[in-house]
Amino acid sequence: MNHGQQSGEAKHEDDAALTEFLASLMDYTPTIPDDLVEHYLAKSGFQCPDVRLIRLVAVATQKFVADVASDALQHCKARPAPVVKDKKQQKDKRLILTMEDLSKALREYGVNVKHPEYFADSPSTGMDPATRDE
Amino acid sequence: MKRRRKSCVKFKETDQSATTTAEFSFSLTRIAVSQICQSVGYRSTDSSALNTLTLITTKFLQSVACLAASFANTANRTEVNLFDVVNGLQDISLATSDCFPGGSTLHDSESHCLIKSAVLRNLSDFVTCALEIPFAKPLPRPEIDGSSRGDLTRVARSPEMKSIPAWLPPFPDSSLYLEHCTQNRSEQLWENSNSVTIGGETLLKNSKSESSIDRSGGRLPQRRARVRFKVERDWSNGGGSCTSDTRLERLRDDNDGGSGREFDFKNKIIDEFIYSAGIAAGEWPI
Repeated sequence: MNHGQQSGEAKHEDDAALTEFLASLMDYTPTIPDDLVEHYLAKSGFQCPDVRLIRLVAVATQKFVADVASDALQHCKARPAPVVKDKKQQKDKRLILTMEDLSKALREYGVNVKHPEYFADSPSTGMDPATRDE
Repeated sequence: MKRRRKSCVKFKETDQSATTTAEFSFSLTRIAVSQICQSVGYRSTDSSALNTLTLITTKFLQSVACLAASFANTANRTEVNLFDVVNGLQDISLATSDCFPGGSTLHDSESHCLIKSAVLRNLSDFVTCALEIPFAKPLPRPEIDGSSRGDLTRVARSPEMKSIPAWLPPFPDSSLYLEHCTQNRSEQLWENSNSVTIGGETLLKNSKSESSIDRSGGRLPQRRARVRFKVERDWSNGGGSCTSDTRLERLRDDNDGGSGREFDFKNKIIDEFIYSAGIAAGEWPI
């Protein structure tokens, strides 16, 4: 009897916490807009008029991307920096999201990204810096 | 550094040429993902890495949606509720265990309800701790008819299609079937069919104008071209096939012509009558 009462109180607390969390979602603005999330959800057969659920999915996605990006940033920081004379340039160059770091970070999340060994991001990649218009 | 930044700028220039819904939504997601990367601490990104992360973000969204929708459908519902979403997130968290720790504790004997889900707790912590970063650009608001962004889901909810249930997939673009229907309608009339209009495109254009008239209630136009019929008789084989109509006509013509012909014709009729009467009496010609 006593145990039942305790479990009932705990459940009530959990319920209150969940209600509070859902209410806080109404005030929270995720980075991914609601309309955009709604579009992708509707594309996959997700029908729900409740904005809170759409925001819940948006928050989960935002957390996923933020975790992947921060993991990639850790990989980026852990990599030994190349020797560059200008210290400011060296500091800036280290904080670039590259495919190498991203694929390492994504592998921990069960996503295997394969990219070609040589991949030119833009037509000007690999060209002589003197000929390139800056 | 400059080179990489330049590549990003170049990519943004190509964003403006996004025309289809998929391209538009993808470019919007890319903006959001780049904002998140910036909030984590990145200064810039490779365009290929940003594209990959954006693609994975859309895949994540769609897989969560698919899982939640399948949970709802299993429970004989079309509308997704909180528990379906949490179940879907739990399933995702099993795959991406680093993102949502505690996903495997859902079906423990102690946690009877999804309220205790570790995923929800993590998300709640994230909402309270993480900084709120609103989307960088204002999104175009959909118009009343919902056709401003080309969003198919909004077209399905337009007031003309209220009779269609919301859980059905969105109606395809009208440009895909309208032309086909018009063509089918023109095929109902023989004069507009392909057997007639096979000659060329000009005939097809004419038939289109006629089919547009047919669509206006099936009434014939007041001014129409005259149609004349001319029937020619061929007397070379004795009046062609001797049906009753032609016989009567011949009789009438013979009355106008002369009595000699009338006599021969009457004799012929009498002979035929006697012949048929003989057959009826059992006298078969040998």
